[in-house]
Amino acid sequence: MKSVTALVLCGLLAPNLPAMALEGDAERGKRVFNQCRSCHRLAGSPGSSFGPELGSIFGRVVGKQPGFEYYSDFFQSASFVWTPTLMDTWLKDPMSMYPASTMMSRGVPDPQSRADLIQYLKTVSTDH
Amino acid sequence: MGKHRQSRLKRRQFVAGVAAYLGAGKADTAVANRHVASWDLSTDVIVVGSGAAGLCAALQAREAGAEVLVLEALPQPGGSSVLSAGVVYAGGGTALQRALGVADSPQAMYTDLSRVVRSPLSAEKVALYCDQSVEHFAWLAQQGVPYRGQLHRGHLPPDVGASLYYSANELRADPQERGVAVARGHVADDGSNGGGRPMMGALLSKARAQGIAVRVSAPTQQLVVESDGGIVGVQATIGGALKSLRARRGVILACGGFVHNRAMLSRHLPQLQNCSTPWSGIGDTGTGIAMGAAVGAETLQMEQAVAIAPLATSESAAYGILVNERGQRFVSEDAHDGKIGYDIAFRQGGKCWLLADRHHIVGLRGAHIKEVALANTIGDIASRSGFPRGALQHTVAFYNKFAKLGEDPLFAKSSGFLKPIQGPPYRLFELSVSDSFFPVYTLGGLHTRITGEVVDTLGNKVPNLYAAGRTTAGLPAAPYVVGGLSLADATFFGRQAGRSAGLGRAS
Repeated sequence: MKSVTALVLCGLLAPNLPAMALEGDAERGKRVFNQCRSCHRLAGSPGSSFGPELGSIFGRVVGKQPGFEYYSDFFQSASFVWTPTLMDTWLKDPMSMYPASTMMSRGVPDPQSRADLIQYLKTVSTDH
Repeated sequence: MGKHRQSRLKRRQFVAGVAAYLGAGKADTAVANRHVASWDLSTDVIVVGSGAAGLCAALQAREAGAEVLVLEALPQPGGSSVLSAGVVYAGGGTALQRALGVADSPQAMYTDLSRVVRSPLSAEKVALYCDQSVEHFAWLAQQGVPYRGQLHRGHLPPDVGASLYYSANELRADPQERGVAVARGHVADDGSNGGGRPMMGALLSKARAQGIAVRVSAPTQQLVVESDGGIVGVQATIGGALKSLRARRGVILACGGFVHNRAMLSRHLPQLQNCSTPWSGIGDTGTGIAMGAAVGAETLQMEQAVAIAPLATSESAAYGILVNERGQRFVSEDAHDGKIGYDIAFRQGGKCWLLADRHHIVGLRGAHIKEVALANTIGDIASRSGFPRGALQHTVAFYNKFAKLGEDPLFAKSSGFLKPIQGPPYRLFELSVSDSFFPVYTLGGLHTRITGEVVDTLGNKVPNLYAAGRTTAGLPAAPYVVGGLSLADATFFGRQAGRSAGLGRAS
């Protein structure tokens, strides 16, 4: 029983724990971000420009990047901003959270990987 | 009779076993027709997948007079093709080549392509494609795929504003080895960023204009098989319910490769099992391959994949040297990224290091390669990096000795990139399949004839089953060094599959 408690504390048995409760590691997050690059890039780094550019994503209003014309109607008319918490919820299962979104992604189901990715995106938000 | 039944059962179990091995562990990717109570819908041709292969197949089947239904598993059509750069390797003297003064011939294209696509399995496909490439490009343009008349003298697809470039490293390769450099990378371009979206947008519009039904959020679950082994339809989930859909003339599987199926990767491509950058849409889960295998189709090239080293974005990288874990060079640093990536992934244990001096480190940061050592001598770099004692120093000394003379006796790097590694500080960068930006996707799949017909291990066709694109083993083989060959294969052999299916059993 003790060992189970230890595992829970380590986050190993906590698949439903929100990633925001976990500490993210930007270096690991950079690796996680590689899977996003088939659609997204950050200014000055490799990747595809199929989807919107993601530097400085936090604090931006959803669906409003100038020059990107392919948002779903829902995102175009949305007025909320991207926050780390929203990003965490979104990336848990993007296609069920906003089924109308044009983003075809299974997200990042693992909470620690999600926390790492968000930490990385925070870092590049200050870099760019 | 009993014995016959037993052997039939065994064969079925065998086929199911093979399917389970190849697929996602599911063996229920085919169902006997006798278990289908009634059809919810009947059409002539059903195309599974709405990427370039699927839509070209659908359009050509429609041209052949067939009623066509396209089933797309995801809510958005376009497959991996829509995410791509929209490059089709074409030549022989296409309208665009001629308009831009690029001299080419089918023979020259065949000579160049057969030099790099050496698999005997693809020889017939290479010959047919080179012979008909001019017509194929004209057909794509006829469908409305936009091209603009500008030549880009570079080895990477232009972001915008050009429709033809040198996609097979022609500008860097040794002229004596490759002959005349011919631009054959045809990039769809409508003035927006990236070629995949305009290409697939045009094909989708054309499909709808031709009366082709495209159903999204409609994952195909299994093929329906007649008692003679022929394919008579599919079962797909539409609106949350399993529907039985009859295809009077044929079913075309065109739903991508399997790079997003880690279980399949572990069996067929363990070198990529922990890859960080699957370079495809999320629909590439191997379902088409599994469905084909479930009805006895043969698979080929399952151990082959595209693996791209993240170096092309930086010219500086070609001036450095790449070494393996023994501190030895293993490839020319100015080779195509698909060749370097292949060598790293499949011959060097998935990892290598790039050494650069102070003259050529600019630009590497942008490539997001991890710096692991910085020092003023090669010896210090080596001691901090765990190479065998003296190995890196020996490699650099040998390289520098000949680089001064403009020679590379080991790998024939072109003289323009041959400069001695000299001038501190030196930097060592680590590249790996598992941690770097290192795009990969699979090249193995169902065995098809040049007609797009799927065949079994004995070479017999599976009646009324066709396939195209990355669900098949097509033109591209590893190492992947011809940009646009995958889409060339998907579009051209998608059309062959569509024509065959559209004409139906009589063919």
